[in-house]
Amino acid sequence: MATRAQFLARIKAEVAKSSGAFPASSAARPARPLEAAIAIRRQMAERWPEALDRFRAEFEKVAGVFHRVSTSAEVPGAVIAIARDKSAREVVAWDPASLGLDLGPPLAASGLPVRAAAPDDTSETARRRHRDEAARADVGVTGVDVALAETGTLILLSGAGRPRSTSLLPATHVAVFDRRHLVESLEQVGVLLEAVHADPRATSGAMINFITGPSRTADIELTLTRGVHGPKEVHAIFVDEPLGSEDWS
Amino acid sequence: MSEPAVETPFSDRASAALRDRFLQEALGIATTKFIGLRRESFDGFPQGDALRDQARSIKEATLERLDEHLTRLADNVEAAGGHVHWADTAQEAREIILRLCRDKGVRMAVKSKSMATEEIELNEALERAGVTPVETDLGEYIIQLAHEKPSHIIAPAIHKTKAQVAELISQVAQAPLAADAEVLTAAARVQLREKFLQADMGITGANFAVAETGTVVLVTNEGNGRMVTSLPRIHVAVMGIDKVIPSMTDLAVFLAILARSATGQKLSVYTTFVRGPRRSTELEGPDELHLILMDNGRSGQIAGPLREALYCLRCGACLNVCPVYRQIGGHAYGHTYPGPIGILLTAMLNGTESVKELAHASSLCGACKDVCPVRIDIPRMLIELRQHIGEEKVAPRTERVVFRVFRRLAMSPAAFALSARIGRLLQRPFARAGRLRRLPLFLGRWTDARDLPPVAARTFRERWKDLR
Repeated sequence: MATRAQFLARIKAEVAKSSGAFPASSAARPARPLEAAIAIRRQMAERWPEALDRFRAEFEKVAGVFHRVSTSAEVPGAVIAIARDKSAREVVAWDPASLGLDLGPPLAASGLPVRAAAPDDTSETARRRHRDEAARADVGVTGVDVALAETGTLILLSGAGRPRSTSLLPATHVAVFDRRHLVESLEQVGVLLEAVHADPRATSGAMINFITGPSRTADIELTLTRGVHGPKEVHAIFVDEPLGSEDWS
Repeated sequence: MSEPAVETPFSDRASAALRDRFLQEALGIATTKFIGLRRESFDGFPQGDALRDQARSIKEATLERLDEHLTRLADNVEAAGGHVHWADTAQEAREIILRLCRDKGVRMAVKSKSMATEEIELNEALERAGVTPVETDLGEYIIQLAHEKPSHIIAPAIHKTKAQVAELISQVAQAPLAADAEVLTAAARVQLREKFLQADMGITGANFAVAETGTVVLVTNEGNGRMVTSLPRIHVAVMGIDKVIPSMTDLAVFLAILARSATGQKLSVYTTFVRGPRRSTELEGPDELHLILMDNGRSGQIAGPLREALYCLRCGACLNVCPVYRQIGGHAYGHTYPGPIGILLTAMLNGTESVKELAHASSLCGACKDVCPVRIDIPRMLIELRQHIGEEKVAPRTERVVFRVFRRLAMSPAAFALSARIGRLLQRPFARAGRLRRLPLFLGRWTDARDLPPVAARTFRERWKDLR
């Protein structure tokens, strides 16, 4: 079996043989990613309305369903309406602190039990229980870390109280976001990703997902079909008044 | 280098594909559709060309310091709690995975689509070792049920009819299902959901691996890549050393052009970043992450004639536009990687001898180079491969004799002029409406496939004399 030292020595020898004709630097990275990220946030504080229009247009092009409400108090009503429409019996959600609001009481009052991911208990028992709940739930409600307008993409960081499967196992995914999350371009996302990785607090989880519409396939005679493994429907609820969730940058 | 020699000659495999009427129709529809989607996507994306140049230069620069980037990647994966393994060959990569399966008591492994695991023929090895591999990309699932191989890098089952798919998925469901994409996809969802929740191991490839952060990046549309990296207790990622890129900034450049080139999407539905195993604060994710860095013939080309093939993103765009692929499909190539880039990758992995015939399976029209997101000069490398292999051994004897005679004639002005006059006499019975459509004897091998322009009534050299 190859050892790391042998393996790398061979590659180093081959690299030494090559022409050296190409510049040894790649794309220019931000020198201070955290500051660059703050600058993007500042720009977007003014430009978010245009970005929201673009996000909505692109999100709808990839079969996303867009909703807009004025305050976070209206979010539970919007979630209940979606859940009723899907004849949902159970809802799984991110922890209220990560989501920026507590769906539990209002949904329970409408007869919809919400299983929220507890951020402080990661025991084997809690993990198994969570998996069963997520696999059974019809609707999964998450927050959003970045909403990318150019492509209609929702970007979610995993972590404490923000399980990976909430946006994956239930047939309907509902994501809640506000103006702070909007960015315009993939290039800006590149800067934010540099910032996330430069900030140890921001990466409490090991996974980041870009979600651009519902799960899809065209593997049977090129017929476009949705919901092959992940959600069949993705809803995005935009809240005009900023949510109480924490920012990562 | 473990790939078994293909037994039937390429021309027979190609002929069989040409006679398969469903394949012909499916290939025509699929490749035409992908070409249109790609073109539309880039038409509305003026910065696309500059991004392609940038992506290419990132690949060039990364190879210049490949050892450093791999070192950084490995260090960062380990810092995030992952394990890194080094595999010189396909066999070593297989052995690493089999040993992990044995040590960890793995009985079933769910896989997301990965050309690297096709390259090392992992499924066969797992089965022999008593581990059940389950392909979870719908197209790969279909061909696994049919005991076949993928025929397209991004649409592995385009050669199957929905009736054939219905038969395969009905067998698993033990109930007859309608030959309808919606019904069959829903049934596969149920069948595979169970596997995701039961499997001990998730196996993936890597579209990219970011050295600076130790992140494995997977690009999928179905969500199976997310399932296999979130649900089983062990995640194994297998990647060629060519998949490493320096930073997240570089990644943003590649993401902007990859899906556009493959399916015309702005981004694929899911782009998944995996940085080590589940953190202690997380409820989900694998306990262990193993990254296998595989060479398997790649490093030999860092300074070699096929270097550019190491830039490939596996988007499949060059397959769709290739006039040869469009006629014969992926299986006729007889190796893991089909299409124009596949010929080069096969030469890289299995040696140039393995593409003696395939190096000629190209019209050198250059369409592949035009659509390649990183502008790989595939035609140039194919020509160099042909030179390297030597035309003599491949062309039939009669063809070689004809060209040798032509060479003699073309080298002497007198002989050339005489041959034009003789040719004009001999062609009389065969010329129709300014074309030679059918020639006798061995010359018919040419006119079977294409017309030949006849010798002109007055050649240019003859007219030139008068003009002077």
